[in-house]
Amino acid sequence: MLPSPDWESLALLGQIAVKSSTAVLLAAYGEIVAERSGVLNLGLEGMLLLGALAGFAVGAATGDPAAALGAAAGAGALGALAHGIFVLSLGAEQVLSGLALSLLGAGLTGVLGRDLLGAPGLVLPSVPLPVLADVPVLGPALCNQPVLTYLALLLGPLLWWALGRTRWGLLVRACGENASAAYASGVPVRLVRYGCTCFGGALAGLGGAFLSLSYTPGWKEGLSAGQGWIAIAMVVFAAWRPLRALWGGLFFGLLTALQFTWQAEGAQWLPLWVLRAAPYLLTLLVLALAQTSAALRRRSGPPADLGRFFRPGG
Amino acid sequence: MSGGRSPGANAAPMAPAPPVLSCRGLTKRFGGPEGGVLANDGVDLDLFAGRVHALLGENGAGKSTLMSMLSGAFRPDAGALLLRGEPLVLRSPAAAMRAGIGMVHQRFALVEALTGAENLALAAGGAPSPRAAAELAEAFGLLLDPKRRVSELSMGERQRLEILKLLACDARILILDEPTSVLAPAEISGLYGTLRRLADQGRAVVLVTHKLPEIADVADEVSVLRRGRMLARNMPRSQGLPTGWDLAGLSRLMVGRELPGASSGRQRRPGASARETVLRVRGLCGQGQPPAFADVHFEVARGEVLAVVGVAGNGQEALAAVLGGTKRPARGTATVLGREADQALVAYVPEDRHGTATVPGMTLAENLLLSTTGSRGAYLQGGAGSRAARAAIAALGVVASGPQALARDLSGGNLQKFILARELSKSAPLLVVEQPTQGLDVLAVSEVHAAIRRAAEESAVVLVTGDPAEALALAGRVAVLFRGRVAGVVDPGEAGAFARVGRLMAGLSDPAAEGPAGPVGVPGGKPGAGGRP
Repeated sequence: MLPSPDWESLALLGQIAVKSSTAVLLAAYGEIVAERSGVLNLGLEGMLLLGALAGFAVGAATGDPAAALGAAAGAGALGALAHGIFVLSLGAEQVLSGLALSLLGAGLTGVLGRDLLGAPGLVLPSVPLPVLADVPVLGPALCNQPVLTYLALLLGPLLWWALGRTRWGLLVRACGENASAAYASGVPVRLVRYGCTCFGGALAGLGGAFLSLSYTPGWKEGLSAGQGWIAIAMVVFAAWRPLRALWGGLFFGLLTALQFTWQAEGAQWLPLWVLRAAPYLLTLLVLALAQTSAALRRRSGPPADLGRFFRPGG
Repeated sequence: MSGGRSPGANAAPMAPAPPVLSCRGLTKRFGGPEGGVLANDGVDLDLFAGRVHALLGENGAGKSTLMSMLSGAFRPDAGALLLRGEPLVLRSPAAAMRAGIGMVHQRFALVEALTGAENLALAAGGAPSPRAAAELAEAFGLLLDPKRRVSELSMGERQRLEILKLLACDARILILDEPTSVLAPAEISGLYGTLRRLADQGRAVVLVTHKLPEIADVADEVSVLRRGRMLARNMPRSQGLPTGWDLAGLSRLMVGRELPGASSGRQRRPGASARETVLRVRGLCGQGQPPAFADVHFEVARGEVLAVVGVAGNGQEALAAVLGGTKRPARGTATVLGREADQALVAYVPEDRHGTATVPGMTLAENLLLSTTGSRGAYLQGGAGSRAARAAIAALGVVASGPQALARDLSGGNLQKFILARELSKSAPLLVVEQPTQGLDVLAVSEVHAAIRRAAEESAVVLVTGDPAEALALAGRVAVLFRGRVAGVVDPGEAGAFARVGRLMAGLSDPAAEGPAGPVGVPGGKPGAGGRP
C-alpha cells in the first residue's frame, strides 16, 4: 500500500529525493556542456570516483571544505583533460577514450583509496536556509540541504541561461553543431572544447565529492554505484538541455527516495528492480519517441558534430 | 542593369583609382613538388572598389584555389597579395576577415541549429540580438528573418545571411563562389541588385562562376582562368556589344581551342543499317521543381558513343543518375533493348569515385563483390572476388598493391580505372560514364579514354561530361544540355564543331540548329546575342 500521505513523511521523501539527485545532476550538467561543445565523454563514472576520493582524502587531511571541494573538482577536471588530450589533440575515438576513463577511474581509486576505507573524514552537513527551511514540505526539500545540492538546483537555470543567452554559450553550441563553420567564423574550436570538457570533469568531480562528503560520508570502493551512467542517460533523456536535466535528475532522485522509504516501511507496490531500471527504461522510451517524427528528431537530437574529430584547416 | 547606370560610371573612372587588392604572381601547387597539380601558375589580378568583377573559368581551372588564397584558407607557394599597395600575408580566414576580405563559399559555413541572429553574432562578435540583426538586414535591403533557425531557411535566405555575416564584419572585399548555383532564376536578379548596391557603396565584389551569360548584366569587368593561368585580366565591358560582352569569345577562352587527339580516335557515326538500338530515351523528365532536365529524346546504338555535355548544373548530373539507375525519372522512359533498364543491362560509372562508386574503407576485392555476383547464397566467395579484382587491375593497368588494397588508398586515376574495369567486366549492353576524367592527370586521361573506346566496340556508351574536348574526342554525336534541355546535337566531324558546342553550352543561340533537337534557349531573351560570328 502507499504510505499514508502525512505532511511530515512527504517532506522527508522530498528532502531525500532532492538530495539523491545531486551527484547525477552535477555530472549530467557537466556532460551537457561538454557534449554541446561536441565532446562525448563517457568517463563520468570514473570522474565521479576520482572526485569522490580526492575530495574525501583532502577533506580528511586538512579538514578544510574549500580545499576538499577544490581537490575534487581538480581531480575530475584532470581526468577530463586526459580525455581531451586523447580525443581533441590526438584524434582518438571518443567512445573508447571515455570508456577507458571510466575504467581507469574505478581501478585507480580502488587502489589509491585502500588505506582510506572506513576512515573517518570531513562531513559537509545540510545548511538550512533561515526562514525558508521552515516552509512546510518544500522547505525541507529545497532549503535544508548541503551546499552542493543548492549548487545543483541553481546550475540548471544558470546553464540554461548561459547556453542560450550569452556569447559564451553561442560559441559552445557552434562548436558542437558545426565545428568548421565555427572555426571559419574565428572561434577557437579546440580551446572551447577543451574548456567545456574540463568544466564537465570539474562538475563530475564535485558530484563525486558530494557522495563521499555529504550523501554517504566516507570512502568505499565504487561508491558512485553507476550514477555516472545514469547521468549519461539523463543527458539523452533531457535532449541536451540543462532545465530538462534538472527535472529528469529530480525524478531520478524521487525514484531513489522511494526505494529508501519503501524499504524502511516494508511497503512495496512495485518491485524494487523496476525503480532501479526506470531511468534507463525511460531514456530508451524517450529516445524511441524522439524518432517518431522529423520535427522531434531535429528538436531533441544530439548536437550535429558530437563526437567528431576536428582538425583546424583540414 | 546596365541601363540603370550612367555608362562607364564604375567601369572606367577618369583617373584610375589604385586597386584595393592586387595579386602578383600567385602560384599554388598541390601534391608533390615534382608531380602534383599546378592549380595556380603566376596569377595576377586587380580588384577595385566600386566594381563587380567576374572571375570566369571551368571546373578545375583554379578559380577556387585563387579565391581560397585571397580569403586566407590557402597560403600561396609563391607570389604576393597587396592590400591598398601594402604587402599582405593571410594566415587564416579570420585574418582575411580582419583585413576586410570575406568569402561566401559554395557550401555555406552556417550553423544550421542556430538562428540567423546567432550565426551573425558568431561571426561578428557580441551577444546575439535578433533586433540588431533585423536592423542590419534592413539597412542593406536583404530580406531575412533573423529569429528563424538556419535549417528552416531557403538557400536564397542562407546566402543573404552569409552576405550579412560579411557585412557585419565590415568586409570591403566580398568574394562569392558560384553564388547562382543555389538560386532559382527569379532570385538571381535580386542577388545581382544587392551586389550592385554593395559595389556602389564602395566595396569590391568578386563573382566566381562558369555561367557566362548570367554575369553579363552585373559584371563591370571580367577575368578568365584556364588550367591555372590567367588568360584575360580585368577586361572592361565593351559598349558596342548588346550584352556588353563578347560571350562567344569568352567561352572560347574558358574552354580552350585545342582538341587533344581530336581526329585520332574519334568515333565514326555507325552505319545506320546493321546497328541495333540499345538505349531508347523517350520524353524523359527529371525530378524536382523545376525539373533538372526535361523532354529528352535520343537513341544510342551498339557500337556508338553519345556524349551529353553541359556546364555543371544544367541537368546532366541528374540525367546520368537516371540512366545509371540510381534515380527515378519524373516522366518518360529509358529502355535498354526494349526492356526497363536494370543492373544487368547497365554498367554505370558515377562521377563520385569515393562514395557512390566505391566504399572507400573496403578493399578492392570487397568493392567488386558488392556490385557484382560473387556470392553464393549468404557466403562471400572471397577467392572469386580476389580473382576478379586481380583481373580488373590487370585489364586496365591499375597501380595498386593488390586485391586487398583499400579503395581510398588508390589515386583518383587508378581508382577510376579500377571502377571502369569493374563495370566493363559486367559486359552490359549499355555503359554510362559520368565525368570519367575529372581531376586525372594526362596519362590517366588517355588510358581511360582508350578503355571507353574499347567498350564502345561491344556496347552502347553514354558519356556525360563537362569537357567539350573530351566529348568531341570520343563521341560520334554530342548532345548539349542547357538548363535541362537538349540545346542542340553536334556532329564532331562538322566544321567548327568545337565552337558550336561551346556556344550551345553557354546558352547562346545556334544558327545551325537542326529541327528535332529540341528548343534552343536564348537566356534571358536577349535578342542579338547570337549575332556574333
